[in-house]
Amino acid sequence: MFQIKNLTKIYDDGTVALRDVSFEVADGEFLVIIGLSGSGKSTLLRCINRLIDPTGGQIIWDGVDISAAEPAQLRQIRRQIGMIFQHFNLVKRSNVLTNVLSGRLGYVNPWSSLLHRFPAEDREMAMAALKRVGIADQAHKRVDELSGGQQQRVGIARALMQQPRMILADEPVASLDPVLAHSILEHLERLNQEEKITVLCSLHYLDLVQRYATRVIGLRDGQIVYRGSREEIRAMTDREFKDIYGEEAVRVSVVPQGREE
Amino acid sequence: MATRTTKRELQPSLVSPPVAGIASLFIPGLGQALARQVQRGLTLFGSLVTLVGLFAWQVSLLATREQGIGAKFVKALDRRPAFVIPILALIVILWLWIAWDAYRQAQPGQRGGLSVFALVLALFFILGWKISEINLYKLATELSDAKGPLSRVLWPWEAAVTRDVETTVAGADILSPCDDLPPPSPPVETPGEPYVVADPTCGDLSQQVEEGGVLKTVPGTLLTVVGRGFEPNTETQIWWSDPIGNKFQMRQEGRYLAIMTDDEGAFQIEIHMPYRLIPPSSEGRQVHRVEARQVSSVGDLKFSDALKHNVEKMVETIVLGMMATLFGIIFSVPVSFLAARNLMSGSPLTMALYYITRTLLNIVRSIEPLIWAILAGVIVGLGPFAGVIALTVHSIAALGKLYSESIESIDPGPIEAIQATGATRLQTIMYAVVPQMIPPFVSFSIYRWDINVRMSTVIGLVGGGGIGFLLTQYIRLLDYRSAGIAVWFIAITVATLDYVSAEIRQRFV
Repeated sequence: MFQIKNLTKIYDDGTVALRDVSFEVADGEFLVIIGLSGSGKSTLLRCINRLIDPTGGQIIWDGVDISAAEPAQLRQIRRQIGMIFQHFNLVKRSNVLTNVLSGRLGYVNPWSSLLHRFPAEDREMAMAALKRVGIADQAHKRVDELSGGQQQRVGIARALMQQPRMILADEPVASLDPVLAHSILEHLERLNQEEKITVLCSLHYLDLVQRYATRVIGLRDGQIVYRGSREEIRAMTDREFKDIYGEEAVRVSVVPQGREE
Repeated sequence: MATRTTKRELQPSLVSPPVAGIASLFIPGLGQALARQVQRGLTLFGSLVTLVGLFAWQVSLLATREQGIGAKFVKALDRRPAFVIPILALIVILWLWIAWDAYRQAQPGQRGGLSVFALVLALFFILGWKISEINLYKLATELSDAKGPLSRVLWPWEAAVTRDVETTVAGADILSPCDDLPPPSPPVETPGEPYVVADPTCGDLSQQVEEGGVLKTVPGTLLTVVGRGFEPNTETQIWWSDPIGNKFQMRQEGRYLAIMTDDEGAFQIEIHMPYRLIPPSSEGRQVHRVEARQVSSVGDLKFSDALKHNVEKMVETIVLGMMATLFGIIFSVPVSFLAARNLMSGSPLTMALYYITRTLLNIVRSIEPLIWAILAGVIVGLGPFAGVIALTVHSIAALGKLYSESIESIDPGPIEAIQATGATRLQTIMYAVVPQMIPPFVSFSIYRWDINVRMSTVIGLVGGGGIGFLLTQYIRLLDYRSAGIAVWFIAITVATLDYVSAEIRQRFV
C-alpha cells in the first residue's frame, strides 16, 4: 500500500508545483497521471523517490515515511523504485551494458563499483534484462548508436536491475513515435501484471491512458482534479477531458488509423 | 516629406536649423543634441576632440624643443608641411561639416546621413598611418636587405654538418713603433716547413685622426709579407695578432684579406699595418705579429654543434611543454570544480568561492605566459624550470575555465537517473558525471598540450629555457644558418603536433 498525504511542493522561486495532493495506490496497480505540461506530474513523481524534496506532506510506503527518510535509508528505498524518463537519461557515451549495470549501484559494494567492477551474477542479470526487452544483441554498443525506442528499452532494463517493487515512469513515450509507444508500454504492462510491480506513469495521449491504466488521476495546476477507475477512464467524455486539459484541448490519436472527432 | 519614419515626426527638433548649425559651430555636436540626436552629437563631439588631441600630440612630437603652442605649431609646419597642412584642413572641414550636419538634422523630416562619419573614419585612418609609422616606401626599397639572412634561414642545412679543420700557421714579429734597439729578427727558415717573413720588421700602426669633426684613417707602414713552404694553390688568410693576444683576420676595403699560393706554395702580399687600440697600461716594447694561415678540412662529415644544440634544446622544449601540461591538468581539475556554477550554487559561501575562483582565473589567464616566465625567472632563475612554472600557471587558468564550463554544460538527466537507483554521491559522479566529462576533458587537454609546446618554443626568448633561448642567441650573433635550423625544428614540431592532436581529438570526441 502506497499513500500520499497532503503533498505540497513550492519551488524557491515561489512556483507552487503541487498543492495538497493526496491519493492512495494499491500494490500491483497501473496508475496513470494525466495533465498538461507544467501541471505538476513530473514534480509529483520526483517527490516520491525524493529526487525533489517536498515542501510539506507525507509519502508513506508500507508504513515507511519516505519523506522523512535519512540519506542511507533513502538510498535503500530508492533502489526498490525503478525510474524511467522521457529523455531516457542514459549516459550516451557509455555502452548499453554499463548503463544497465548502473541500475545495480544501490546493491553492490560502493568502492568496487567505482572501478566498474560488478559481480558475475549481476552481469548475467543484466544480459537477462536486455534479453527480456529484446535488445540483448546491442549490449556492447554505445547508447548513442541506438534508436529512441531501443534507448528507452535500455532504460527499462536499467530499472529492472533494481528488482523494483515500484516503477515511476515520467512520460516514458513522449519522445517516441506511436508504434514504439505501445511496445514500451506493453513492456511496462507485462512487468505490472506478471511481477505485480506497481507502476506510476504519466502519459499524454488519452488513447494510451484508456488502453493501459487501471486507475487514473488528473492534475491541473498542482491539484488533483480527476480520479477515475479503469472503467471510468474508458467512458471518459470530452467534457471531462476538457476539464483536465482546458478548453482548447483536442483529442489526438496515437494510432495512425485512429478515429477522427 | 512624410516618407521618413514617424518616430522622427513625433520628436521634432528643439531648435530651428540655423540655431542648431551655429550651436554645432561653437561646440561640435551640440546642434545635433538639440535636434534630439543626442547620440549622434556625442559621437561627433568625441571623434572631433580625439582627432584634435591626436593631431596636437603629433605636432608636439615634431617640435619637442619649442615652448608654447604657437611656436610648436610653426616649427611642425616648417618640418612637415605635407602632414600638418592637409590634416589641419581636414579637421577644419570636419568641424564645418558637423555644423552643416546639425543644420540638416534640425530640419523636420530629415534623418541619417552617414557621410560625416566617412570623413571621421578617413581622418582616423590618416592619423593612424602616421602614428604607427607605416612606411611602404621603406618596405619596398629595403626588402632586398633581408635576402641574405632570409635565404640562410629558409635553407640552413649547410650548417647542419661540418668537418674537422686543420690549420697551418706561420708568422713574423713586427715591432711598433720602431725604437733605438734592433727590431725583431726574422724567423729561421726550416726547409719544408711554412715560413713567413715581413719587411720591414718595425713600423707604425694605422691611426684614426679627427679632422674637422670627421674621423680619418692615416694608413700605417706598408709591409711586404712573403711566405714560403705552404700548400700550393691554396687560399691563405692573413691574420694580425696584437701584443695583448687579440687575433683577427685582416681586411682590405671591407673584405677579408686572403691570397692564393703559387705552384711552389709561396706568396707575396703588401699590407698596411692595421689600426689597433693598445691599452696605455701595457708596458715594454709592443711586438705584433703577422700570420699566414691555411685552413683545410680533414676527416668525414659530422653533425655540427649547431645541429646538436638545436636537437638538445628541441627535446627540452617538448618536455617542457609536456610537463607544464601535466601539472596544468593536475591542478586545474580541482580548480575547475570550484569554478563550476552548477556545483557551487548550493550556499552563499560556495557561491562566494565560485566568484573568487572565477575572478582569479580570469586575471591569471589575461597575463601572458611570457610575463609569467619573467616573474618565474626572478624566483627560480633562468632555465626550463621557469618556463614550466610560467606555462603551468597559465594552463591552470585556461584549463580551469574550459573544464568548469564543460562541467556546467553536462546533461543533468543521467545524474538524476543514477541517483534514482539508490547510488551514493561518489557513484553518481563516477557513473553520471565522469563519462560526460571525458570528451571535453581529453579534447581541451590535448589542445592545451598543443598550445604549451608551441608557447615553449618562444618562452625561451625571455629566459624560460627551450629552443627559443637558443634561437635568440643565434639571431643576436647574426648566425642565421643556426637560427634557421631552430626555426625549421620549431616548424616541424608544431606542424606534427597540430596533426597529432587533431587526430587524437577526432578519435576521442
